[in-house]
Amino acid sequence: MMKKRALMLLLAFVFMFATACGNQSESTNESKDKGSSEKVKLNMWVFGSTGYEKLAEEYMKDHPNVDIKIQSTQFDDHHNALFTALSAGSGAPDIAMIEVNNIERYREAQDRFYNLYDFGAKDIKDKYLDWKWRIGESADGSFLFGLPTDIGPTAMFYRADVFEAAGLPTDPAEVAQLIPDWNAYAEVAATIKEKTGKPIADNVELVYNALRDQAPVQYFNEKEELLIEKEPYIKQAYDYTVSLIQKGYLGSNGLWTPEWGNAMEKGSYATLLAPAWMQGVVKGNAPNSAGKWLITNMPGGAGNWGGSYLTIPKESKHPKEAYDFIQWLVAPEQQLKSFKDMGLFPSTPSVYDAPEFKEYKDEYFGGVNTAQVFAEAAQKVKTVYMGKNYTLVQGEIIKALTNVQKKKADPEKEWEEAIKRIKRQLERQ
Amino acid sequence: MVSHNHTNATVRPKGLSDKKKTALAGYLFISPFFLLFTIFGAFPMLFSFYLAFQKWNGFGEMTFVGVKNFSFIFTDPLFWKSIYNTIVIGLLGTGPQLIAALILAVALNSAIVKFKSVFRVAYFVPNVTSIVAVAIIFTVLFSEQEAGLVNATLSLFGISPVSWQTSEWGAKIAIATMIFWRWVGYNSIIFLAGLQSIPKDLYEAAEIDGAKKWQQFLFITVPMLKPIIVFVVFTATIGSLQIFAEPLIFGSGFREESMTIVLYLWREAFSNNAFGTASATAVSLFLLIIVFTTINFFASNRLDKSGK
Repeated sequence: MMKKRALMLLLAFVFMFATACGNQSESTNESKDKGSSEKVKLNMWVFGSTGYEKLAEEYMKDHPNVDIKIQSTQFDDHHNALFTALSAGSGAPDIAMIEVNNIERYREAQDRFYNLYDFGAKDIKDKYLDWKWRIGESADGSFLFGLPTDIGPTAMFYRADVFEAAGLPTDPAEVAQLIPDWNAYAEVAATIKEKTGKPIADNVELVYNALRDQAPVQYFNEKEELLIEKEPYIKQAYDYTVSLIQKGYLGSNGLWTPEWGNAMEKGSYATLLAPAWMQGVVKGNAPNSAGKWLITNMPGGAGNWGGSYLTIPKESKHPKEAYDFIQWLVAPEQQLKSFKDMGLFPSTPSVYDAPEFKEYKDEYFGGVNTAQVFAEAAQKVKTVYMGKNYTLVQGEIIKALTNVQKKKADPEKEWEEAIKRIKRQLERQ
Repeated sequence: MVSHNHTNATVRPKGLSDKKKTALAGYLFISPFFLLFTIFGAFPMLFSFYLAFQKWNGFGEMTFVGVKNFSFIFTDPLFWKSIYNTIVIGLLGTGPQLIAALILAVALNSAIVKFKSVFRVAYFVPNVTSIVAVAIIFTVLFSEQEAGLVNATLSLFGISPVSWQTSEWGAKIAIATMIFWRWVGYNSIIFLAGLQSIPKDLYEAAEIDGAKKWQQFLFITVPMLKPIIVFVVFTATIGSLQIFAEPLIFGSGFREESMTIVLYLWREAFSNNAFGTASATAVSLFLLIIVFTTINFFASNRLDKSGK
């Protein structure tokens, strides 16, 4: 008898296991639970601190038929989990937030998402910055992956104390006049190096990125053809960065390393070419440098680093409700709330004229109206098609620049090598 | 999957001999492992072999490309560099480590050491620490700046700062150090277990015959430990061919100085979305491990014969 019972137990286990491995779609389709109200459940995946939970509460108050569950994970985990779910064709949420660089991975996976143009996204297009909207579209513009959330327009953070020690002006307007373009930037770098011995920037990457972002085209065109040999812009950005490296104007603190953070507090370099969200990073790394870091326009224009899109994967059974919610979530009024609450910089230019923007002051950054600086930058960003292998190309070019700096390698040879490495990887896909 | 109804029918005692029933129960008892292994072990492994001949970006259709994936990676200098790197880092990380582990184990086993259990735990702790945490800490220690702890220490001896993350040997030594630190305790505990199984009377007999301590070590300890040594060398070889997390976190951005085979594979799959070439790399690594294990096997057999 004992044996029989053990057998039954075991069978029960095997059966449970079999069902557990089976279809898990029940969790997303519980519209008939308790037979009472027809509640629509929406699962949403976000990363980092968005503050969207609060807004979702607000939305649910006005829409009692919708129940929104938000799951927030760390940046890399979030994007990997999403890629896996979409690739496997099961387990994706109703709404997925995708960061601007990561959206490029899905260029060939339109069939995994709903086309938001089918839900009337055309009507709200005008509320958003053109360049931002464009990245969320397919190459031919017929398909819309996601609605724009926040953006990362770039400006020049600079250490007033270092500028002062070099005998340069420190007022933001005067600094912007002093450094209108990249030639002036190199001249100021020479002055600062001579007077203080400090580099003009933290490392090679952000200087190169700043120039890259001001180019009319970057790595690929809409046909996914590699442009870096045909078009001069990227090579020019590379050469300019190399010239600063060879004169010893650039520091060698890798992004996000502890030394990099320390250097912010110590003021070991003069400028940081960075996006709006870097304000929080600077405050965190340099709590005692209030008033020393100021912000003004970037020489030569502006770029964008970061920001996201809200997409609706094809697996969702309630795309209409999901769309209604995200349309509300990224509307100008809500973007303004996210800006006040979490510092997410809005992609809707209409709110730049709101009093919150006009009268904004940041005491840490010497009382500068930083919101205004970044709002101006946001409208200067060039519309660019990034392409699905953007990150790959970027990585190889940064590698070449690092070799020029750290190994005193020959820049031309490194450029050739980088192109070879890029092509070798592109042909495999 | 076993369908519920069907199994229910088979459990009914009708027409089943006792022997069959016992056998069936036995199979059911071991089935959870096999089910799990089939889904999470065997299937992905076999699928890798299939994928190695396909072109796939993770989303679209798979297209058969024959051996093209292999020709891609075999003509890529970085692939060969990654094999070279893996072997060099493996040797640097395991060679000295096994010798150190043996010395530590002998020291722990000797009568003079107190607090043995404390030491045993302390040795083992690095092995259960998260690799990611270890790699992050070591990245700070091996910072390229002059103020980095390792560089600062070296400067006390008048050695100029090393670029640990971007120089050919710096990166390898730093990663090998991580592997050394992580595994030396683990292997010394295994050696210790081997040492404790050597009969004491052998040493007593040698003592009476006038053998010195080092002679005892060389002519009793090492020969008696041979099976353990073989086991440790085997596992260390296979383990070092699979080095991945350390270089991923340490050498930021897939730099070629610290590119290992598994990191190369990972980059192909999860950074470049080229799952075909990634699988071809996996298959190549599988063959490489077989080759190394075979070499190990014959070497240890030869050792066995010569030891007799």
